Order: sequence, then C-alpha cells, then structure tokens
Amino acid sequence: MTGFEPRIVGFLCNWCSYAGADLAGVSRFQYPPNLRVVRVMCSGRVAPEAVVKALYYGADGVLILGCHIGDCHYLTGNHQAMKRVAVLGRLLSYLGVDPRRVRLDWVSASEGGRFAQIVTEFTEEIRTLGPCALGEGGP
Amino acid sequence: MIEEVRELAGRWLESGRVDAVLGLRELDGRVAPHLFTDTGELDGLVLSPDYPVVYTCGQRRKTVPRLLERENPGGKIGVVARGCDERALIELAKRNQLSLEKIEIIGVSCTREEAESCGCSRPYPTNLAVGEAVEGVSVDEDVEALLGMSLEERREFWRREFSKCMKCYGCRNACPLCFCEDCQLEQEQWVDVGHVPPEIPMFHFIRFYHLADRCIECGECERACPVDIPLLTIHRLLRRDVKELFDYEAGRDAEHESPLITTLDEAPMEER
Repeated sequence: MTGFEPRIVGFLCNWCSYAGADLAGVSRFQYPPNLRVVRVMCSGRVAPEAVVKALYYGADGVLILGCHIGDCHYLTGNHQAMKRVAVLGRLLSYLGVDPRRVRLDWVSASEGGRFAQIVTEFTEEIRTLGPCALGEGGP
Repeated sequence: MIEEVRELAGRWLESGRVDAVLGLRELDGRVAPHLFTDTGELDGLVLSPDYPVVYTCGQRRKTVPRLLERENPGGKIGVVARGCDERALIELAKRNQLSLEKIEIIGVSCTREEAESCGCSRPYPTNLAVGEAVEGVSVDEDVEALLGMSLEERREFWRREFSKCMKCYGCRNACPLCFCEDCQLEQEQWVDVGHVPPEIPMFHFIRFYHLADRCIECGECERACPVDIPLLTIHRLLRRDVKELFDYEAGRDAEHESPLITTLDEAPMEER
C-alpha cells in the first residue's frame, strides 16, 4: 500500500465548521491536504445517499462537520445529522464498509485548531484503513 | 378461524359499524384483495395465501382508504389485518397516508407455521379479534449468517447478490411503506439510468436507508424479488438497530414519531 493517499470528502456546515476551517487557514495551522471540502448549509442537509455516493465515486472517507449540539443555526439540524449517521454507520457495516470511514464531528467557528486536529486524525485513520473501493471507480 | 372472521365482518357490515370490509377474496380460484360491501359476498373472504392486505392500502398509487374517502367521506372500513398489516396501517397513519379513525381493524393471528415461513417475530396484531397469539420466531438464519461474516465477506456477498438485480423495482412497488410520489430511485442524480444491474450498492442502499425507520418486516420486498435477493436480512437488522438506538419500532404504536425526523430531546441518544 505504498503511495496510498486517502481521498476524503468533507461536508462542512456553513455557519460553524466552514468558518472553523477558514480560521484554521488564517491561523496557519497545518493539516493534511487530503480533504476536499463541500460547503453545505447545515450538517442536517447531508443526505446519507450523498455520503455513499461519495464513497462509490472513489472517496476513501467522508467527514461531516457541523455546529456543536445546541449551537445549530437551524436549532436542531445537527440533531438529525447525529441520528442519521448512527443509522448510516450500522447500514454501511452490513454492506461491508467499515463505519469508521464516515465520521461526524462538531467544530465551531472559533475552533480552527480543533478543525486541523480532526482532519489530521481522520486522515491518519483512513490511511490505516486503506482504499475504500466501494464502487467500480467513477468518472 | 375463517368462519369467525366472516361472521365478525358480516356483523359489522350489518350493524353499520363499517361501510365496507377490506380483505382477500377468492374468485374463480384466484385470490386478490377486495372491498366487501355486501354480506352475501363474504363467503368468498379468505385468509390465505398470507398476502398482506395492507398492500392495497399503502401502495404508491391510489390507495383503498383514499378512494373510499373520495367516494364516501366519513365512511369507515374494516380491514382484515394480520400483525404485519396492522403495523403497516399504524405506520402509514403516522405518516399521514391514511386516517386510523376511518379504519376498524379485524385482527387475525397467524399460525405458528405461517410465522415460521415468514420468520416473523410478532405474528399477531395488537387488536386481536380472531385466533390466538403464537410466539414469534426470534432467530433468523440469514441475519446470523451475515453477522458472522467479516466486512470483506459481507461486501463480496452483497456484490454477488446485487449483481443479480434487474432493476424491476418490484421490491419498491410491493412495499406497503413506500409511498413517495417522487421516488429517489427514479432520479438520475442518485441512480444512473440505463444500467443493469444498478450501481452497487447505491440502488439498494437508498431503499434500505429510506425504510430504516419504516420497515414493518412484512417481507413483501423479498417475496416480490424475482432473483431472490435476501433483502429482508438488512431490514431486520436495521429495525433491530433503530430499536436499540432510539427505542423505536415502526408500527408499534400510533403515538411515537420516527426518531429520524425528531430532535434529540424526543429520542435521545448517547453523546459520542
């Protein structure tokens, strides 16, 4: 598995986590360049179908970041994200995908360091898990 | 047992407790759902094959309760319901597909043999009118076999199974709980058109996930499948998971909302 670089798709909520990622950049925190960020309005917006589609088209891991519980801009969007990801993880494991490939976490707009740390941790975890190869390879 | 059901249905029709009874009718050697309005017809009412009557209530197109409401607003129908039928009716009512106030359930229990052939864990309705509740089946071989596999084996297993899929949509069409008019399985952005078998596992994943908090384990999807994909295996596991995570079982009662559409205050889970 030499030369394996994980491809990670990140769904970042507009109000907290995207701003947190921005802060990480402005503050010049170092984190691995494996993350491709998709900006969404809320972590509750992330459909489990989209997560699986990302894995199908070649992502090795999917990172969903939202506001901390209680801080959601839409009040309870992240509550739903949390419940969905719990069910999604079980379903993925029955289909033969390691549920660790999907991680949901909370990053506020002031937590640039936490953002960098989560991305680093997650990238290393996916690196040890190896390529996902869920689909036959997409476009 | 069938005599008791006929008698009860007849009594309800005569007394005006219901305007019609939905059940299976045998006519010229064929069995199909039928709306009985005349007590004279009730001789044709049958219980087998163990075909969920509710199929006609929850189907994606024109459902019996909706048709009845259009023709006879305020009318009531009796439904001859097994355990799975009753769970489906309750779950459909919760999702605004029909109104339980317009339905009277004639609950019928399944026999132990029927329960075993379906692998049903709860082969009797709550409103049991005819028959005796028998114990359900607690262990499912397919489920145990899947849980015994490693992740790689599971993926290989499903790749083999799903590659048989000819995308006939039978599993979706047979499902009493699939009622969306705009089905995601028909949207190109999620399921590519013109490919058989459909992308593995996208097509099946979408069905499994959408039914995670709805599936009432009637097994119609698996029965409808022309290539025998063991779809119910994952539905059983997800139903078990949703119960474990949120203490929610589809069709158990009419009060509790699905945890996937409520906040953590209503269906809390452990913070990770």
